[in-house]
Amino acid sequence: MPESIPAPLIIDTLKDTFREARGASAREPLGWILSVPDTHQKTVLAALDKERALRVVTCATEDEATAIGAGLWIGGEPVVLMIQHAGLYASVNTLRGVAMDGKVPMFYMIGLLQRERDRDPKESRHSMVRFAEPLLDTFGVPHARLEGPNDVHLIPEYYRLSRERRGPAAVLVGLETS
Amino acid sequence: MAIKPEDILKAIAGARGNAICVPTMTTSPAWRTLAPDDLSVGCSGFMGGASSLGLGLALAMPERRVVVFDGDGSLLMQLGSLATIAGAAPRNLTHLLFKNGVYHTSGSQDIPGGLTVDFVQMAKGAGYRKAYAVTDFDDFKRRLPSLFTDEGPLLVELHTGLADKTPMTDRGGQPFNQQVEGLRQKLHKG
Repeated sequence: MPESIPAPLIIDTLKDTFREARGASAREPLGWILSVPDTHQKTVLAALDKERALRVVTCATEDEATAIGAGLWIGGEPVVLMIQHAGLYASVNTLRGVAMDGKVPMFYMIGLLQRERDRDPKESRHSMVRFAEPLLDTFGVPHARLEGPNDVHLIPEYYRLSRERRGPAAVLVGLETS
Repeated sequence: MAIKPEDILKAIAGARGNAICVPTMTTSPAWRTLAPDDLSVGCSGFMGGASSLGLGLALAMPERRVVVFDGDGSLLMQLGSLATIAGAAPRNLTHLLFKNGVYHTSGSQDIPGGLTVDFVQMAKGAGYRKAYAVTDFDDFKRRLPSLFTDEGPLLVELHTGLADKTPMTDRGGQPFNQQVEGLRQKLHKG
């Protein structure tokens, strides 16, 4: 059964991910979070408001977040995008044009709002939950599920994977963060 | 008489110094002839993204000026970026809007609202530090130095005619991924 992941654990993991990305040149701000508000990850977004080590840019759309992320990456800054599955659907052309065709590393944390605790996402009653993984598969975007606190190691792993592949990679946040 | 977009681009090419430029759509063919360097990255394949790409660059490199060459049709595709840019408030971002009232690249269909859309008011309403319109080239030349020194985010609505070339009539240039790589290498060299 999936479990909720506490916000502080996610934020600490993001900080470690950014420290590793910066290596010897680690300094504050450690990295950038580009978010389009997501009900599923709202406790993380609320906690980020109080964080000084991470810079948060709230974007009006996921298209913007992806293009801003590209600019930050070109400029040498580490970036994570926090969005919702509906935003993934809304921004597929930018995902393709920027992250895939542009060969720009782009790491997404995607909230699976309305994902049922007792049901595999692929069997969800809700199309926005059900289609997320097949869509990522269609575009060849590597992805993994964050199903509980023991899975947070997937954040740095898939972040690194996006850098190694020079393209998008994603983790899907299974339950609402706590 | 509307300003020739090529005249504007030529003036910027001569004055930009080490500014990073982000052209899109009909500014791209002329720009790659006027400034065949690796300090530019064109927004192609994701129409509407130039302002956001420029914002990311401006946040990453606050010591450099970033100049976006946007189009009116392009900006309408991601109009919310005005608020996002204003919220992030990069002091080094200059957002030039080439306003011609049409989607020139796809056959000159009118944009929604045509030339009546007031992007200056929109930028001011979103929270840009400064926004104004320029309707003749002499005025543009007078203001040119300030485009690289005024505190951003700054939006300048340029009332232009149609460009001589579009990405459809003058294909070519580097693919987006090569431009990305070229700019990244240039910025991080040494």
